[in-house]
Amino acid sequence: MISSIFIAWLNSEFFISTLKKQDSSSSISTMSIVQMSGVSASYDSKDRVLKDVTLNIHRGTNYAIVGASGSGKSTLLKLMNGMMTPSNGVVLYNYQKPSLKNKEFKKSISKIGYIPQTLGLVKNMSVMDNIMIGALPRISGVKSFFKMFPEDEIKNAYDVLKLVGLNGKSKRKVYMLSGGEKRRVAIARALMQKPDILLADEIVSELDSVTAREVMDVIHDAQKKLNLTAVMIHHDMNLALEYANRVAVIKEGEKILEIGVEGEQIVDFQTGNFSQEEILGMYDES
Amino acid sequence: MTFKQVISVKKRFWGCMMNPKNNLLIGAIVAVVVVMSYDVGVEPIAFFEGLPNLGIVAKEMTEFKSEHWGTAFWSMLETIEMAFIGTIAGVVISLPLSIFAARNLSSKFVYAPLRALLAATRTFPSILWAILFVIVVGLGPFAGILAITLYTIGFISKLQYESIEAIDFDPVEATTAIGLSKLQLIRYVIIPEAAPHLLSQILYMFDYNVRQTSILGIVGAGGIGFYIINYIKFFEYGKAAMFMLVVLAAVLAIDWISVKIRDKYIMKAEHGRQLKAIN
Repeated sequence: MISSIFIAWLNSEFFISTLKKQDSSSSISTMSIVQMSGVSASYDSKDRVLKDVTLNIHRGTNYAIVGASGSGKSTLLKLMNGMMTPSNGVVLYNYQKPSLKNKEFKKSISKIGYIPQTLGLVKNMSVMDNIMIGALPRISGVKSFFKMFPEDEIKNAYDVLKLVGLNGKSKRKVYMLSGGEKRRVAIARALMQKPDILLADEIVSELDSVTAREVMDVIHDAQKKLNLTAVMIHHDMNLALEYANRVAVIKEGEKILEIGVEGEQIVDFQTGNFSQEEILGMYDES
Repeated sequence: MTFKQVISVKKRFWGCMMNPKNNLLIGAIVAVVVVMSYDVGVEPIAFFEGLPNLGIVAKEMTEFKSEHWGTAFWSMLETIEMAFIGTIAGVVISLPLSIFAARNLSSKFVYAPLRALLAATRTFPSILWAILFVIVVGLGPFAGILAITLYTIGFISKLQYESIEAIDFDPVEATTAIGLSKLQLIRYVIIPEAAPHLLSQILYMFDYNVRQTSILGIVGAGGIGFYIINYIKFFEYGKAAMFMLVVLAAVLAIDWISVKIRDKYIMKAEHGRQLKAIN
């Protein structure tokens, strides 16, 4: 038992050092921000939600994860921000193992913008108060307790509000907003974190196609302006192909396809090149 | 309702009534109530024989002199002040206690003994605490305020830690993933999420405390109850009844204000709209 734990630890340390060497030989812009190797995860000891998933997400990428309900997509995001730890394999965020118990990782957790499927907004608070939550890890305990926010943070918040198109709605309570506006608030809160990466779990799944595209455009613009890496979970393959430059398809906990989208070209990284129609067909089958 | 529906409802009603199991259960409950009533000395005849006495009280009420209205008003105001101070002091103390008593925020070693302590404060009604505080600080409203404060702490803390335990977990998970400290989590998520319940609980508690404070005067802890008990002792039932009517009027007024506050702040916060009747 102890020897198997030791071997697993040795493997993960070897994996980290190998990845660091690989990345040091390449330019900063292509450095990996998230790496997963042979990752399995489960909520109980019996059923595995993820099975042997390997992913490599480069900085600046718009990475989409697509799959049916219950395929393990949300679990992948939770593994990236340390809300869950894998039962097997290695997950690395900036060469650190994401875990809320890892003190080193906890220092950088505020740089991971996370938007859960439920958005996680405090509905009785104003839009501005919800957005300021993103800045709280940078503000001291006493100042934040009495809402004494620094001037530059307030200015930041208004800039972010403008960026997501919520100008003039800062004092509105969240429960008064529409579905699309609530999503914009969640995006703004994540952007207030000044994140290196944005993890968004099915942020547009409950919206009509017009509003969904509006919300996706907001993220796309923010990503370009702030040079963000985005990892987004989608139900809609068309939307994923439209906005992402790399798409992974998850089926029953396994990654069955990973493709790169470069303009009209779709490059498959696993099983050869497919046309867009073939990929859409493959997704439908999943 | 059509004729067929009427027949169907009738059939169901008689089906239910003729069910031997139901009849046995109803019979058993009635038998228990009768036995217990005999045991504690319930005498319906005495009630009907004594009803004319209410007429005497009503006649005495008409003899209520205008000079007593001032006493009634000021003693009721004192009662409301005592209830208000006790409620606010109790709520202020119970808020941090409820955070430490919530199972989703504190460790077992903190919440278990604290909950036991809070349960102990709720065990006795405020009138018993008032007797204790009259011994400690002497006769007067201060003893009553202490009693109301202590009871409010036990009651509001329980309601609050239950509200905290039942809050929506999604914002907690989302903000934990951002890296908020526990203090920030409490300030920006837990308290705002539980706040609509808190306002409702404070209103309910104030309403309850006004009624409780009205009787604390019986043990010398101030308020309108002091006058009511003394009038009863000296068989001045008319005056006592008039003072009781003042209490009733004050409680109804407070209830009306509570409904207005609930509609304005709580219904909106919980449902994003005002309460509307179901047609």
